Amino acid sequence: MLIGYLERGVLAGSIAGIVYGIYMTVVANPLIGYMETVAEEATHGAHAHSASDHAHAAGEHAHAVSEATTAAVSIGSGVLWGILLGGIFALAFYFLEPALPGRKYVKSYVLAGASFLTISVAPWLVLPPATPAAEKAFDPTLRIGLYIGLMAVGAVVAAASIEGYKRVSIRSRPLGIVAATIPIGALVATAVLAAPTVVDSGAMSASLVTAFRGLTVLSQAALWAIVASCFSWLQTRANVRSATERRNDLLTSP
Amino acid sequence: MTAETIHDRLGTARDDLTTAQLLTVFAFVAASTFALLFVQEPLVHDSMHNFRHAVGVVCH
Repeated sequence: MLIGYLERGVLAGSIAGIVYGIYMTVVANPLIGYMETVAEEATHGAHAHSASDHAHAAGEHAHAVSEATTAAVSIGSGVLWGILLGGIFALAFYFLEPALPGRKYVKSYVLAGASFLTISVAPWLVLPPATPAAEKAFDPTLRIGLYIGLMAVGAVVAAASIEGYKRVSIRSRPLGIVAATIPIGALVATAVLAAPTVVDSGAMSASLVTAFRGLTVLSQAALWAIVASCFSWLQTRANVRSATERRNDLLTSP
Repeated sequence: MTAETIHDRLGTARDDLTTAQLLTVFAFVAASTFALLFVQEPLVHDSMHNFRHAVGVVCH
């Protein structure tokens, strides 16, 4: 049964991953290339006549591989990313399905939303998606630690939100939805008020940075939405039914 | 008869699969995560540079 879920999750993830790979090819790769050129020109302009500064700037942007390789591998990684998220989603869904609120279609969207909050939104509140060539706050080890810590916070908030909905919606569904938004609102408010602005986007114009972040957020949200919808469609096709539904069937048709 | 719980699902997974199979599944997930997000080997790391930017993960 677990393997069946995993198969469908990986398949849903592959579909989402291919869509994401197309997005990488058509939008993200050219955009990141453009933004890197903009950033590099700004750096070169500032240090135009100093040979040592120039070498320093070139060193910062030097890569071990060609741009074509970066583009191709990034597209492939995009596909793998979809497969990985689909697989993790299916494993989590298998174990958590009984605890998720809603009917079976709703359940997979609830879990996808919770995953998006955990893996992306919560960490981004403190460490927003980095624009190319931006100054990075903290050293990599601290950043990774912080990111993982924030994922844990995101998971707790998602769980609190779902639990709140389940408790309150017994009495009234609209109140349940209100209860579900409280932990998320609290997280966002805390992050906005307490977290320092840690990324300096350098020479990049503010609107370009906003557009890039907006695209990142939307593309990840879309990835999760595709995973959830394909997964629930595949589940229906495979005719997976929960123990509750089987029992109800037995009760209604003796 | 009560509705299915998370505990039941854990039980089903243990009954259906051997420990080795479960370990394989989780090891595979861990390996893919590591390879995509944390490998610092310059060739691999650099060639996935655009990907990490687009996904918005921290170690880019």
